Amino acid sequence: MCFKNLPIEFDSQGKAQLKEGVSNPYTYQVKSLHAEEDQLRTLLAKNGHIKSVDFDPVTRVAGALAFHTVADLKEGKILSANSMATLFRGYEVILKGRDPRDAIFISSRACGVCGGVHATVAAHAMEMAFDIKPPPLGIVVRNMMLALEYLYDHPLHLFLLAGPDYSQAIVEQSNPEIMEKAWRTPAPGANIHGYANMGKLMEDMNPLTGSLYLEALHMTRVAREAYVLLGAKYPHPETIVPGGVSVTITLQTFNEVYARLIKFFDYSKKAAAIWDDLTNFFYDANSRYQEVGSRPMNIIDTGVWDDPYAYDASYKNCNEWGERRWATPGVIIQGDLVTTRLQDINIGVEEFVDHSFYEQWNSHRFKTDPAGNPLSPYHAWNKETIPKPQGQNWKERYTWDTAPRWDRMSVEAGAYARLLITAMAKKLPHNRFIESTGTSLKIQLPRATKPALELEWHVPKTWNAFERNRARAYAIGYTAMVCMDNWQHGMDMLKSGETAVSTKFEIPKKGTHIGAGFWGAGRGFLTHHLVADNGVISNYQINTPSTINASPRDPFGTPGPYEQAVMNTPILEKYSGPENFKGIDVLRAIRSFDPCMPCTTHIHVDGSDRVVSREVNTCACGVD
Amino acid sequence: MRILIAGVGYYNLRDLSLGPLMLQQLQKLDWPAHVEFDDFSFGPIAVMQRMEDRPGFFDRVVFLAGVGRGGREPGSIYCYRWKSACPSNEEVQQCVTEGVTGVVSLDNLLVIGEYFKVWPAEIVVIEVEPSSEEWGDDYSEPVQAAVPVLPGLVRQAALGPLHRFHDSPYVATLLD
Repeated sequence: MCFKNLPIEFDSQGKAQLKEGVSNPYTYQVKSLHAEEDQLRTLLAKNGHIKSVDFDPVTRVAGALAFHTVADLKEGKILSANSMATLFRGYEVILKGRDPRDAIFISSRACGVCGGVHATVAAHAMEMAFDIKPPPLGIVVRNMMLALEYLYDHPLHLFLLAGPDYSQAIVEQSNPEIMEKAWRTPAPGANIHGYANMGKLMEDMNPLTGSLYLEALHMTRVAREAYVLLGAKYPHPETIVPGGVSVTITLQTFNEVYARLIKFFDYSKKAAAIWDDLTNFFYDANSRYQEVGSRPMNIIDTGVWDDPYAYDASYKNCNEWGERRWATPGVIIQGDLVTTRLQDINIGVEEFVDHSFYEQWNSHRFKTDPAGNPLSPYHAWNKETIPKPQGQNWKERYTWDTAPRWDRMSVEAGAYARLLITAMAKKLPHNRFIESTGTSLKIQLPRATKPALELEWHVPKTWNAFERNRARAYAIGYTAMVCMDNWQHGMDMLKSGETAVSTKFEIPKKGTHIGAGFWGAGRGFLTHHLVADNGVISNYQINTPSTINASPRDPFGTPGPYEQAVMNTPILEKYSGPENFKGIDVLRAIRSFDPCMPCTTHIHVDGSDRVVSREVNTCACGVD
Repeated sequence: MRILIAGVGYYNLRDLSLGPLMLQQLQKLDWPAHVEFDDFSFGPIAVMQRMEDRPGFFDRVVFLAGVGRGGREPGSIYCYRWKSACPSNEEVQQCVTEGVTGVVSLDNLLVIGEYFKVWPAEIVVIEVEPSSEEWGDDYSEPVQAAVPVLPGLVRQAALGPLHRFHDSPYVATLLD
């Protein structure tokens, strides 16, 4: 029994059903935000040290994100936070009425980093809807491509986007006492990363000039090249098809990929040691850093990397093939793993628009999923995207993001969710390099130019900005070794003549077909839900990790993950007054999620001859 | 004297596709052997890394792109010699952030290339002010009208003396 809030129970066979005797099972009352906002206004009017602080745009994140806070600069507390996606994401509207295959190419444009994964998830949705099963090598190649896409993404986050927040250049300004301590503190991981003290390490985290920043830029190239060897083009491959991939794979291809993948073996060791040292150093300097970006450990992930001999694309069997993945699907609530079944994850997600710039839809076309489990009217297969632009108002509606919730609770997504759930679930099928212990993940990194090393990442006791980043660093090694394991499977297949990479298919021209792609972007949880009627898309819904993480308050009054994390963040930077307050702790909290909002870009502006191709800024100063 | 002619832009966004689409057209014309072509629409960081592979190889780069700056007549051609200049480090960082997360932009490309010192001393930019940034693989009428002028102008920018190009954008037609 994994649901506490949804009106769903399970019978003795484990089949979900609506609880008996509940009339209007999915209705809810919207909790008013007026009282909270009025109280804040009173505080702002009465106290000079309570200030509205806007981060608009939030820099060093992908895309258009703005953040409004009310901060008590005397007590060092954030009293309120509002996350704003400042552009409309229109893909769901654009895709309506099109050939389902267009979803691969159009949804790929949702992101300039995760284009490959959007294309793949679209292919998965079609495979489920139209009963298309890819051959094993096609699955292996997809697994490798998406591992490589993540290997592009993880260094970006750790050293270009979030990383500079921990650099000498930033810390010297925000907390000079910590930088002084850093120069005096030996780095425990010196034998792995090569930095004798924390000051030197943080100096090399400096943006643009630090060698770790520059090395990360270089590693993105290594990953990109490897991806292109398989997928021909990045970030928007044209080789992803329902039923596999449309490329010719040879031993030479695999060898060239290997030559690049091996570079991540040493880089994984180094990245993990760096973020272990950074995290422990900050905790030691001030234990309150454990509160920065903290929130309950409520985590969701679809799992990624399919078992080539288990994945059959069907919804009926998705619980089974999901649990065979190299990263286990699951939901963690208050630190406890409550399910690893994809169907539970799927039927538990609802998307609310009560504080977003959308109209509520009224239909409830699908009362159950294809397996007969009950579906909410707010579920993606029932949701409609009806944009309704209007002014921002903290009491009413303030963002283009929606509020996805699982079992009506605020959960977060991230690459780290893969580590958390896989470590806790102990369901990882046998593989050569990764072991799930229930409380940790052990990753065997082979010798490259540095000796072989066993990395062990432990499920942390607290969940905060530092642990998100630390887990992301370990995700490099995890991802690299999943790729390596798949590489070996692929080599075995090639040697045995199992060379097919795609399955022929046809899009049925009649009838209703529904499907979903459950995968993960570099930043975590990603789903595409497809409804096709008579051969064309009648509904398409994309739920990205940043849709979840950047979400506004839900109808029950619960803030979204960014908002929660920021409100739990103590202000630890040194400042003499509002004029030199930089908000670095708030920014650390936000950036630890790796916000990615480019799904808001490339938007057609209705009634005009224009497509917005990059972000805009929104001045939130005058917002009610 | 080795010269690179590079197109920059988004595909399937009508006038913003001018750079890569014109590049295909230009490549079909006769050019001296020391002129190369490349589509630089794949992200400024990747472009920078590609240039780093051939340090100092090119003596001149000519960029061609549809760039909407506003306040200019749609379809007008602007031309200038780009002078080395880097904004503040914060702005360079923002360019890098946009670059690695998928934004294709001539300005970002110029800044990133400059910061990482991959450009030769001679850079000429030819921009066309877009009229339509709608989905599609054709040009708007004003930009279509400008297209016949571009091969000659690009040839002059690539092969002609550099002193004929100003340092700030100006409306360009074929130079006499």
